[in-house]
Order: sequence, then structure tokens, then C-alpha cells
Amino acid sequence: MQVEAYAGEEMVLNMGPQHPSTHGVLRLELETDGEIVRNVIPHIGYLHRCFEKHAENIDYPGVIPFCDRMDYIASMNNSLGYALAVEKLMGLEVNERVKTLRVLMAELNRIASHLLSIGTYAMDIGSFTPFLHCFREREKVLDLFEWLCGARLLYNYNWVGGVSHDIPEGFEAKTREFMTQFEPVIAEMDKLLSYNKIFLERTADVGIISEEQALSHNVTGPNLRGSGIAWDLRKEEPYCGYETYEFEVPVGLGEHGPLGSCWDRYYVRIREMEQSLGLIRQALDRLPEGDVHEHIPRRVRPAKSEVYDRTETPRGELGYYLVSDGGLIPFRVKVKSPCFTVLSLLPAIAKGGMVADIIAIIGSIDIVMGEIDR
Amino acid sequence: MKRYFKDIFQSIWTVLQGMKITGLHLFTRSCTLQYPSVKWELPERSRMRLFNKIEDCIGCGQCVRACPVDCIYMTTEKRNKEEPPIFAADGTPIKLRVTQFDIDMSLCCYCNLCTYPCPTHCLVMTPEYEFAVQAKQDFLYRFAKDEPQAPPKPAPSPRPAGAR
Ligand code: SF4
Ligand code: SF4
Repeated sequence: MQVEAYAGEEMVLNMGPQHPSTHGVLRLELETDGEIVRNVIPHIGYLHRCFEKHAENIDYPGVIPFCDRMDYIASMNNSLGYALAVEKLMGLEVNERVKTLRVLMAELNRIASHLLSIGTYAMDIGSFTPFLHCFREREKVLDLFEWLCGARLLYNYNWVGGVSHDIPEGFEAKTREFMTQFEPVIAEMDKLLSYNKIFLERTADVGIISEEQALSHNVTGPNLRGSGIAWDLRKEEPYCGYETYEFEVPVGLGEHGPLGSCWDRYYVRIREMEQSLGLIRQALDRLPEGDVHEHIPRRVRPAKSEVYDRTETPRGELGYYLVSDGGLIPFRVKVKSPCFTVLSLLPAIAKGGMVADIIAIIGSIDIVMGEIDR
Repeated sequence: MKRYFKDIFQSIWTVLQGMKITGLHLFTRSCTLQYPSVKWELPERSRMRLFNKIEDCIGCGQCVRACPVDCIYMTTEKRNKEEPPIFAADGTPIKLRVTQFDIDMSLCCYCNLCTYPCPTHCLVMTPEYEFAVQAKQDFLYRFAKDEPQAPPKPAPSPRPAGAR
């Protein structure tokens, strides 16, 4: 593209912090030259809530509601990572039912999260209908969660050593019902959005993350897989018995435009939802008997040690580094956020593009500011 | 030039395909609800407003300790030996008089951690969700009914910062 034709006067433009397409409160300092972006400086911290400092003052189970609030779109996955880390710290082994339920909820949550990401992405690009379709489907997942544990967004479901509620009666049938009606919606999404010419034009040649760039910036999750690298922690470092499930790791193929474009990342998410459906089906099929509260310790008091544990959330690799001094309160909780690392790549991929492409890029890397600022 | 017209044609064609799907949705059932006149049925596990059945509360303070945001304020005093013994619904003897049991729902994060440790299951989350108020202090729900009978103790020294 001959972007130079759009060059003009140099100007510094503030995009955000209140901007509909920054997915939270993110401020981008754009140095523009006419329509061309010469430099992007992301300013973060507007949503800082002292998660790590708070965690040093609350007992171990009390941290879980705060974990939920980091990435509020995928709370199940966030608290799962923390619960697994504390269990590892204590050397606690949970029973099969808990493991299966965790997989089930994590995958349902992944679908809800990807639906939101796809829906808002479509809206950023300027197509409103897919947004409504996605939200209608997401609503059904949230209804399932509300039925399960009483909350729609911040579940506090994964506890240390178990989960808060067993599934209510009829939940299984309802989930299967949801899956049967959701499967055609994914195909519908292809027609509605994925192969729409305007959408392709806006995304397929924009925001290329090359393989080297992705690796050097520690990009994870669908963003990394969009660049063609099949790295998924559920396969590489299985937790919760993911090694016993059959699923594929979808990667970007570069079908439209170069590999690692916004479209590739978007499409990886669509295909991940299909895989999640498969995982949910397998989890429902095997759901073993057991008591979900069996291994919940009366007091969570790990011995003096430290642990780093990471899980695959819908946004990538979320790591918890926990240090215990042998007391009831964590000595240190450090979070490695997937969105933070991918945001660090934004200046590199947005430089030299058009202002309108910034929107397309931010939407495609699917950041949640709550998790970046914590 | 050829490419230009091809692009236009493809755009229109794919948009029309999308329109077809949208059009078909005109004939499906609506999934929205006219909220204030019609209401969703909330499942029984819904975590909305907290409620304490104060007659059953034994004043053990487990809920206060469990709350991660410290929004439950409770004061108790010992009941006199001469007073007639009272029991909670499940038979637990009540030895403390709960003179203050306030929950600040504007601070509460609806995490439900306080209800699990409650030995008499008197503290529950209810599916009641319409409790907007005009002033913030109205969010402080007072549940205690008993008046303090012993002379008030001198106020305890403030806790050091960071202690729980
Ligand atoms: S629900 Fe959570 S925040 Fe609210 S009072 Fe109970 S423990 Fe505290
Ligand atoms: S845990 Fe239950 S019984 Fe104990 S003080 Fe709280 S509400 Fe009362």
C-alpha cells in the first residue's frame, strides 16, 4: 500500500483513555504524520487496583475473588491458574470430578471470552450485527454459569482443593442443548463476518506479527498461534488432565494475506471455539462421580516454599508466582500477564500503518486492561 | 481497473450474504425481555443481596474473618449466665449477644466467601437484586436487633496497618 501518499503534517494524537475500541482504559500516544502512524506509545495503569499488594494481605482463599477481577472476561480461567498454583504449593491432589468440572468450566468460559472478543472486534471494524449474535450466544453461557454458581461474571468458582458448587441437576442436558444450537452459529459467523470482503480488506493485510517477533516478545495464546506456531500449554504442559482429551491446536495459515495478520488471529479464535466444544463434549461424557469438596483443606497453610505455575487462558499464558513463608497469607503473588506482553509488541507492529489500522490491531490482539494493570 | 470492480462486486455480494442471515433472524423468537415489566427468573444459587437471619447468628465471627474486603462489622458481648438459654434453629447454644451486625453492600464484592464458613447457615445470599438506593449510606444493612446491655468498653486501640 502506498501509505506515503497520505502523509501530511506531524501531530501527536491521544487515543483514549476513554475510547470505545481500546477495550478498557488504555491511552495510546500516537505520533501521526497525516494519516500515517509514525510511533505508538501505550500508556497503561489506569485500571491499577493493587492486586499483588492486596494479595499479600489476604489469606489464600480470599485472593480468588481478586484473581477473578483481573481478566474479568475469563474469570474461570484466571482463578483456575491461582487454585492450581496454590495446590501445587501445598502438594494437594484433587479428585477426577473436580478436574473434569474445571476443564468443563474453563472451556465454556473460553467460548464466552472468544465470543466477546470476536463480537467487539467486529464492532470496532464497523460491523454491528455479529456483535449482537455473539452477545446473544455469550448470554447463554453466562446463564449456565449463573445457574451453576450464582454469578454471571465473577464466579469465585475454582477453590483451592476443589470447586465451590457441584453442577445442578439438569446442567448436563442444558449444556448439550447449548452446544447443539451453538455449533451452527460458528458456521454462521463465517458467512456473516469471516469471509466478508470488507472485513477481509480491513484485517487480512494489517498488523503482521512475524514468527520471530512473536517469539522474541513472548507473545502467547491465540496471538502466537495466529503467527503459525502451534504452542498451547494445554498440550505442552497439561494440567487438569488435559493430556487425556483429544483436541487440536488451531494455527494461523495465512489463507488471506500474509501469515500472522489480524485475520489469522481472529480466525484462530473461531476455530478454538470449535475445539472447546469438542473438549466440553468429552468432559461431559466422562464426568466421573465424586465429591467436589472432598479435598478442600480447612486451613490453607502451605509450607515455606515457592512455585511458578502457568495455565492457558483464552488470552494466552497466565502465570502465577507464589511465595509462601509458611503462614496463612501469601508472602508474594506475582502474575505474568499474557496481555501485557502482547501489548509491548504494539509499537513494533503498528508503526508505519494507518491510524484506522490501530483499531484493527488492538481488537485483534484481544487485550483486557484489567489484567494488564491488575 | 478489473480488480477495482471485482472488489466492489465481492463486497456487495458478501454483505448481501450477511444480510440474508440477518433477514432470517427476523423470523426467530426474540431473546430479549422488556425488563421492568417482565423479569428473569433467577436461579436459586444467585448471589445478590446478603441476608442474615439474626436469630440464628451465634456471633462466632467466622464470616468477618473470611471476608476479603472487610465489609462486615460485628460487635458482640457475653450474655449473662442468669439469662434464659437460647438456641439457634439447629440447636447451637447462643452464648453471645450480637449488638451490631452491619454489612456494607456498597463495599461487598459478592464473592460469597462469608456464607460458607457460617456454622448455623444463617448468613445467606438471596436472589434479591433490585436494591438500588438514593444515598450511599443506605447500603449499610443493619441486622442486629439486640441493644448492648453491658457498659461500653473503652474503644480498642486501632489495629496496626496491614494486620488482619
Ligand atoms: S460476599 Fe464477599 S465481600 Fe460480600 S460480605 Fe461476603 S465475604 Fe464480604
Ligand atoms: S458466621 Fe454466621 S453465625 Fe458466625 S457471626 Fe457470621 S453470620 Fe453469625
